[in-house]
Amino acid sequence: MFNLNDKFRQEFSVSENVYNGFLAVFQDNNPLHTDNAFAQARGFKGKVMHGNILNGFLSYFIGECLPTKDVIIHKQEIQFKNPVYLNDTVFFEAVICDIYESVKALEFKFTFKNAEGVVVAKGKIQIGILV
Amino acid sequence: MEKSEVLEKVNEVFIDILDNEDIVLTYETTANDVDDWDSLNHIQLVVAIEKKFKIRFTSQEIQSWKNVGEMLDCILTKVA
Repeated sequence: MFNLNDKFRQEFSVSENVYNGFLAVFQDNNPLHTDNAFAQARGFKGKVMHGNILNGFLSYFIGECLPTKDVIIHKQEIQFKNPVYLNDTVFFEAVICDIYESVKALEFKFTFKNAEGVVVAKGKIQIGILV
Repeated sequence: MEKSEVLEKVNEVFIDILDNEDIVLTYETTANDVDDWDSLNHIQLVVAIEKKFKIRFTSQEIQSWKNVGEMLDCILTKVA
């Protein structure tokens, strides 16, 4: 089902809906994320989206976009390299970089890029195959 | 590589994955002897050992181990 170097791509929109949903659920109202003037005074184009919105997209990818639903996330690491702004589209790409057949586990390297092709986040995620 | 050297490296992996500096593995150690060596951590331990030694186990090999010593013997057959 999975092979080394298999590549997966997905496009996500950091829409008002996603942003407002994240704010409503997690209540991180830090002005960097909610106040354009505050963010601009600190060198950003506008309010910066919560990095962990990308982790939500990552969860969607693992849970919904793979060829099996029998998956569980074991661990993940992510580096936030550049800001993401409201209404940005981010382009996700994941490559299987390791397969551990003995324990039915896979590791992906992934990146999120913005529309300009700039990497906004990258990392690794290890998942298990349940059956 | 000597078995004692492999034991030392595997011990380092256990300390790292289980976040327990006090772990001292012996050839006779089993999962029952080490706090937090549960099924989920077992996956992380195996993955970390495979990475550290640049080897791959089979599921049959893993299931056949009765203690750390048998794990080390298996590693030795692959790194020799």
